[in-house]
Amino acid sequence: MNSIWTVMAFTMRNKLRSKAFIVTTIVLAVLLVVVGNLPYILSKFDSNGPAAVGYVEGQQPAVIAALQKYYSAQEEPEVALQAYQSESVLKQTLTDGNIDGYLTFVDDPVIHFPKTTYNSDSALGSGAFPSLLTGLQAAKNELVVQDLGITEAQRTMLAAPVELTPVQVSSGDDTGKTQEEQGTAIGLTYVLIILLFMAVMITGQLIATEITAEKSSRVMEILVTSVSPLKQMFGKIIGTFLIGLLQIVVLLGALLLNLLQPQNAGALETMGVQLQSIDPALVAFAVLFYLTGFFLYATLFAAVGSIVSRTEDLAQAVMPITLITVVAFYVSMFGLTHPNHILIVICSFIPFFTPFLMFLRIGLGDPAWWEVVLAIGILLASVLLIGWISAKIYRAGVLMYGKKPSMKELFKAMKAYKV
Amino acid sequence: MNSLIVERVVKNYGDKTAVNGLSFEVSEGEIYGLLGANGAGKTTTMRMVLGLILPDAGDIRYLGKPYSKEQLSMLGYLPEERGMYPKIKVSDQIIYLAQLRGMSRKDAEQNLKIWLDKFQVPEYYNKKVEELSKGNQQKIQFIAAVIHRPRILILDEAFSGLDPVNVELLKATVKELRDNGTSILFSTHRMEHVEELCRNITIMHKSNPVLQGPIKEIKKRFPQERVIVASDGTIDGLEAVAGVNRVIRHEHGGYELKVQSPEAGQAILRHALAQGPVTKFEVMEPTLNEIFIKTVGENQ
Repeated sequence: MNSIWTVMAFTMRNKLRSKAFIVTTIVLAVLLVVVGNLPYILSKFDSNGPAAVGYVEGQQPAVIAALQKYYSAQEEPEVALQAYQSESVLKQTLTDGNIDGYLTFVDDPVIHFPKTTYNSDSALGSGAFPSLLTGLQAAKNELVVQDLGITEAQRTMLAAPVELTPVQVSSGDDTGKTQEEQGTAIGLTYVLIILLFMAVMITGQLIATEITAEKSSRVMEILVTSVSPLKQMFGKIIGTFLIGLLQIVVLLGALLLNLLQPQNAGALETMGVQLQSIDPALVAFAVLFYLTGFFLYATLFAAVGSIVSRTEDLAQAVMPITLITVVAFYVSMFGLTHPNHILIVICSFIPFFTPFLMFLRIGLGDPAWWEVVLAIGILLASVLLIGWISAKIYRAGVLMYGKKPSMKELFKAMKAYKV
Repeated sequence: MNSLIVERVVKNYGDKTAVNGLSFEVSEGEIYGLLGANGAGKTTTMRMVLGLILPDAGDIRYLGKPYSKEQLSMLGYLPEERGMYPKIKVSDQIIYLAQLRGMSRKDAEQNLKIWLDKFQVPEYYNKKVEELSKGNQQKIQFIAAVIHRPRILILDEAFSGLDPVNVELLKATVKELRDNGTSILFSTHRMEHVEELCRNITIMHKSNPVLQGPIKEIKKRFPQERVIVASDGTIDGLEAVAGVNRVIRHEHGGYELKVQSPEAGQAILRHALAQGPVTKFEVMEPTLNEIFIKTVGENQ
């Protein structure tokens, strides 16, 4: 029994010592920290304070006054308006770089609000332009409302934003999922889908590559005479799984480090995710589907790796599995926005898609309990069946050299060995 | 006591027979030679002995017991196709393989150091295999096969790809293992190694055992057909001696004669002595090489 531990320990130790693994993990973690803090870092480089925008003194005083009022109401004004004598002076000041741009107005007799031009040296729509657009709109509303002569209360009513709250009705309990819960569920689904996809693509390939390498370096001949292929295969799969888990923990640690930074405190809230609203049942499902999904694909990768004799042929051989994974990934991306679509419902019972899609449905949709049980049942049965078949293939495959065996040859060889 | 008994084993791959009714026994402290041309069924036999594939018929017993997982730890195997993990340190992979065969880590570490010292390469302990020369990789591979002190050792082409110095070193090691009671199943194409090391042999040809037994007896079954004779000068007219089929003159003096029967030797000696003093005369035993070529060739 402890030889499976020996295989696991050996697999993990070599991975942990490999420079490629260490470098990749560190680079990913650093990248995660940097990207997470990018908005903050960029804002540090931004010129501090509001953009300076000039205007000709005396032109459109009402509009200027309304704009001034709009910006003075802001906590950190985005634009500071500055008066100059004439347009030529403004032009000169802009060339000298003392202002970011200036406004010129042309009267519009139809809507009684001037057509405004923002002159600046930056490209279309950049700089203070979006802020000015909103500011001018607000100024116009202000001017129009002033003319209507309505009361202060009416004005507040007009200014107040509308409220539309989405609530997802669930058949189980009567409260339904709140917006926070939905946001969290979407976040968690995203995380699981991406993690599982990455784990299968990276770790699965890794398992297949290592097995093929053992075969092509012929060390396999000694291995199969030392330890039963079943233990060898599962030792390698579990070892690589734990390494993948370790990598995830490191990356999550980096993510957590990001969130602990004061400048990132509001990041999760703005994405609509609240940690305290995570449903523990959902987390349990996430773990279950991650495990089953990983082992389902990993055993297949191991089987394919054992058939191929040379690492050069491996990419082609794993193509079908890679394709299934990619399809599962894209279908779940579609499912994120259409969790109750008939395609998603049907696909969630196909074992290769279940870890992605049934979790997605549990998180975002509302599958009946029997659907969940049935899908998990099919999935577990498939994991066992595919694990067994893969072990058979592995047993036969590791000693077959030369060209890739045909299905018939493989089947014949599988019958010759007992697992 | 016979450590390894192979009894009438048969292995078929589809409608092709790879091994057909092979039997042999290897006793404790014996090196048993398994010979045959490429594709004769040697590797299949070895794989059956290793428990990698099951025989379709027949029986294999290890120290009297049938095959079981527990037997793995007393088997050592040096495959014909050599291979180690190229990018992993020698110590790591040897200890790993030893652990897989039931050795404790500490025991394996100690034993590995002893073996590296024995091969005079203690500095390889922390080296990666890819950094070593091919000959030295072979030594490491050999250590991998014997580190766990197997009772039954299977050596497939043990000395291929080695220089003469290393061949002698490994040969001495194999003999030492034999003297310590290890049963060794030995396959090679190099007949001189077999003659030196093995007591009993089996020659396989196209899946069948065609010649079996102690080397001495096998040799007796084949007639002595070669005579070597040499003098300081030249010896004329050897072709004319009764019973001589063919004369080959060697570059460095001396003649090799193919004769119909060993009795012709006396006539050859008299003929040579009449021309002057003879420095060398021998009625040669058939070499295993000749026997092998004859056996395998005739059956082709």
